[in-house]
Amino acid sequence: MRQLFAPGADAILRLALFVVAAGSVMMLVVAGAVANSDYVSMVGIAPAQPVPFSHKHHSGELGLDCRYCHATVETEATAGMPPTYTCMTCHSQIWTGAPMLAPVRDSLASHTPLAWTRVNRLPDYVYFNHAIHVSKGIGCSSCHGDMTAMQMTMRAQSFHMDFCLQCHRNPAANVRPIGEVLNMTWQAPPDQMARGRALVAQYHIRGAAVLTDCSTCHR
Amino acid sequence: MVLNGETHRGIGAAMGMRAWWLALAAALALCGLLAASLFFLFWDGIAVWGNDIPVTWALDIVSYDWWIGIACGGLVVSAVLLLADSPAHGALNRIAETMAVMGAVAAGIYPIIHLGRPWLFYWTFPYPNSFALWPQFRSPLVWDAIDILSFLGISLCVWYVGLLPDLAVLRDRAWEAARGDKGLLKAQLYGIAALGWRGSAVHWHRWVQAYRILALLGVLVVLALQTGAAVMFAGTLEPGWHDTLLPVTYLAGALLAGTGMLSVLVVVVRHAFALQSLITARHVSLLALLLLGLAVANMYCLGASTVSAMLGGDNFVVAGQVRRATGPVAWSFWMLVAGALVAPLVFLAGRLRRSPAVLAWVGGSACAGIWGDHYTLIVATLQHDFLPSSVHATRISFFEWATFAGSGGVFLLMLLLFFRLVPVVGLARARPYVVPAGAPSGDADAPLWGVAAEFATQAGMAHALRKLRAGTAGLRVDGYGPVPSVRAAMALGLRAGSMRGFAVVGGVAGALAMFGMCSYATVYGYVFDIGGRPRFSWPDFVVPTVSFGCLCAGLTVAGAMLVGNRLPRLNHPAFNIAGFGRASVDRFFAVAHTSGEQIDPIAAEALLRAMSPAPLAITRVRR
Repeated sequence: MRQLFAPGADAILRLALFVVAAGSVMMLVVAGAVANSDYVSMVGIAPAQPVPFSHKHHSGELGLDCRYCHATVETEATAGMPPTYTCMTCHSQIWTGAPMLAPVRDSLASHTPLAWTRVNRLPDYVYFNHAIHVSKGIGCSSCHGDMTAMQMTMRAQSFHMDFCLQCHRNPAANVRPIGEVLNMTWQAPPDQMARGRALVAQYHIRGAAVLTDCSTCHR
Repeated sequence: MVLNGETHRGIGAAMGMRAWWLALAAALALCGLLAASLFFLFWDGIAVWGNDIPVTWALDIVSYDWWIGIACGGLVVSAVLLLADSPAHGALNRIAETMAVMGAVAAGIYPIIHLGRPWLFYWTFPYPNSFALWPQFRSPLVWDAIDILSFLGISLCVWYVGLLPDLAVLRDRAWEAARGDKGLLKAQLYGIAALGWRGSAVHWHRWVQAYRILALLGVLVVLALQTGAAVMFAGTLEPGWHDTLLPVTYLAGALLAGTGMLSVLVVVVRHAFALQSLITARHVSLLALLLLGLAVANMYCLGASTVSAMLGGDNFVVAGQVRRATGPVAWSFWMLVAGALVAPLVFLAGRLRRSPAVLAWVGGSACAGIWGDHYTLIVATLQHDFLPSSVHATRISFFEWATFAGSGGVFLLMLLLFFRLVPVVGLARARPYVVPAGAPSGDADAPLWGVAAEFATQAGMAHALRKLRAGTAGLRVDGYGPVPSVRAAMALGLRAGSMRGFAVVGGVAGALAMFGMCSYATVYGYVFDIGGRPRFSWPDFVVPTVSFGCLCAGLTVAGAMLVGNRLPRLNHPAFNIAGFGRASVDRFFAVAHTSGEQIDPIAAEALLRAMSPAPLAITRVRR
C-alpha cells in the first residue's frame, strides 16, 4: 500500500493542532485583556470639555474646598455640578476678559448651563449616593483619585462592579476619620485595619452581608 | 451478521439521492424558519414567545428537556447494549450515538436563546470577571449548565471514539478508489478525521477499553443530568414539582423518548439505506420490547406519583394533578397517556413487535407523548399554581412553534449530513470475513522497519505473534487487523484494564476540581446569603461534581487512548506493508520490528514462513 500522507504531514498536523489550541487560549486572553483595559474602561482618559477647567489649579494650587462647587456632596445622592454663577463669583472679578473663559460668560449671558462632558458614569441600574459615603468616612480620592493633581479631569477608576465590591466586602480597609474625607493625598496608615474596624463600629457601618446584598446597589 | 452475500461496501451507498435531497431541502427550510424566528426573538425579546407571568417558561424549556431526554435515551441505549455485550450494539450504536450528539446540539440551542440578553451568555460560566462574582453553585440552574456540557463532551467522545476505526475504513476505501489527484483530497480528509488509525492490536486493545469506559461514564452522566433536571424543579415553590420519584420519572421519560426517536430513525435508515440484512427483525423486536418496558415504567411513575398525591399530598398538589387531566392544557396530559403509555402496549402482541412500520409509528407517538408530559408538567402547573388571582390562560405562540420546528430542522440537517459522510452502521462490528489473495510490493532503499506476514484469520496472526515473541526475547512485534482481537492482545501480553487508571485519575481530579471550585466560590469567593442556606452547602455541589468528574474521566480516557496509541499519526511505516489497505477490511498482519537489532530480517522471515497456518504473503517493510 502507498502512503496516503507524505512524511512531513504529521509535523504540519501537529503544528495546526498547536496553533488551534494556542490560538484559542490566546484569543480568550486577548479578549479578556482588552475588555479590562483602561482603553475600554476609559480610565485616565480626559475628554474635551467646553472650558478646559483644571482641578489641579483651582483645588490644588488655589486651595478651593471641594464643596465650594460640589455643594450637595454631603447631603444628596449627587455631588452636584456648580451653576455658572459659582464660576462667576471669582471670574466676574478676575480674568474677566480671558478668551478661555468666553463660554462661561456666554453661558451667564444666555442663561444656558455649561454642557460638561460627563467623566464618571454609573449605569442606570446602579443606585449610588454620595452623601452616605462621604458621611461614613469614604474619602473623595478613594474613587476619584487625587483631584488636586489632575490638570484635566479624568476617570481614576474603572467603576466596574469589582471596584465597588472590594470595599463593600471589606469596608474597614478604606474607611477614614471624617476629617480626612476631603484629603486628596490621604494614605492608609500601617495599622489601618485596626483603625478601620474601630471606625466601622463608630459609624455604624453594617457588615459585608448587608453591603454586598444585590439590593444595596441594584434597587 | 452480513447475510445474502451483501458486503459492508454497500453500507452508505444505497440511499436514494432524490429522497436525500428532498429531506435536505425540508431540513434547510426548517433551519431557515429557525433563523427567521431567532431574528425576531433577538430583535424583540422573549416576549415574542408569549412568555409572561405566571407562565414564564413554556416551549423553550419543554423543547429543551425533550431534546436532551432524546439525546440521553440514545446514549443510554447504545451504552447499555455495549456494556451488556449485546450483538445488537453493532447494528444500532451509530444511529443511537449520532442521535445523542445531534439531540444535545438541538437542545443546546435553547439555553442560550432563552436568555433575555443572549449575547451575554458567557456570564453563566465561571471566568475571571469584573463583577467579582461567581456563578451561584447552590442553584440547580448552574448544575444544569455543567450537566449539559458534560453530556455533550461525553456523547461526542463516545461517538467519535466509536467512529474512529470506521473513518479508517472509509479512508482506505477512498484511497483505493483514488486515481491520481482525483479522490486524493477525500481520502486525506477521511485520513485526518481517522487520526491515522491503523488497527494495531495495541490500538484495538486500548480502544475497546476506552469505548466501554466512555459508555459507562455516559450512563452516569445521564443519571446526573436527569436527576439534576428534576431537582431543578424541586428547587421552586410550585405544587407537584417535589415528588421524590421525579428524578426516576424524568429518567424513564427520557429513555422512552430516546428509544422512540431511535426506533423512528432506525426504521427510516433501514429502509432508506436498504439495510434489512444488517438491521434485522431481531433488532426491530428488541426496540419494540424496550419501548414496551419503558412505557410500563413510565406508567408506574405516573401512577405512583398520582396515588401518593391523592393519598397524602396537600390540596394544591391534588388540585394540580386533577387539573393536569381536566384543565385547559389537558390535551397534553392525554397526549402523554395515549402516545407514550398506551400506544406501546400494542407490542404485547408478538406479531406487531416484528413490524418495522408499527415500530416507527409507536416510536414517534412515544416521542410525542413524552413531549406532552414535559408540557403538562411545566405549563399546567405554572398557569394555575396557588392563588386563583394569578391564574392565567396560555397558548403556544407562532414563534414558539417556529423555534421548536427549527430545532427539529437543525437535528434533521445534521443527521442527513452525517449519514451521508459516515457509515450508519458501525463497520468494525459488521464485517464479512472472506478469503482473497494478497499482492506483495517492493520499496525504495529506506531503512528496514520490519517484516510483515499477512494472514486471513485472527488466529493465524495471533499464533504468529506468540511464536515471534517466544522465539526471540525482547523482539518488538505488533498485529494489525479490522477488528479488536483478544487473542492478539493476549499474545502480545497486553494487560487488561490498563485504561481504568486513567478514568479513575481523570474522574477524581475533575470531581475534586469542581467540588473545590464550588466550595471556594460559595464559602469564600462569593459570600452571599440565599434563603439562609449554609455557606458550605455540600449536597448542592454533588450533581455538578459527578457530571464534571464524568466529563473529565471521559476526556482523559479518550485522550489517553489517542496518546497511548501515538495518534494522530498520518504517515506511518505500517502503511507501507503491501496490501495494508485490507487491514481495515478482512486481513490480519503480524509485524516483527527489525529496527531494534533483536532479529535480522532473514531470521524473521524464516520464523514467519514456518508458521502454520502459513502466511498468505511476507513482505519486508521499509520506513
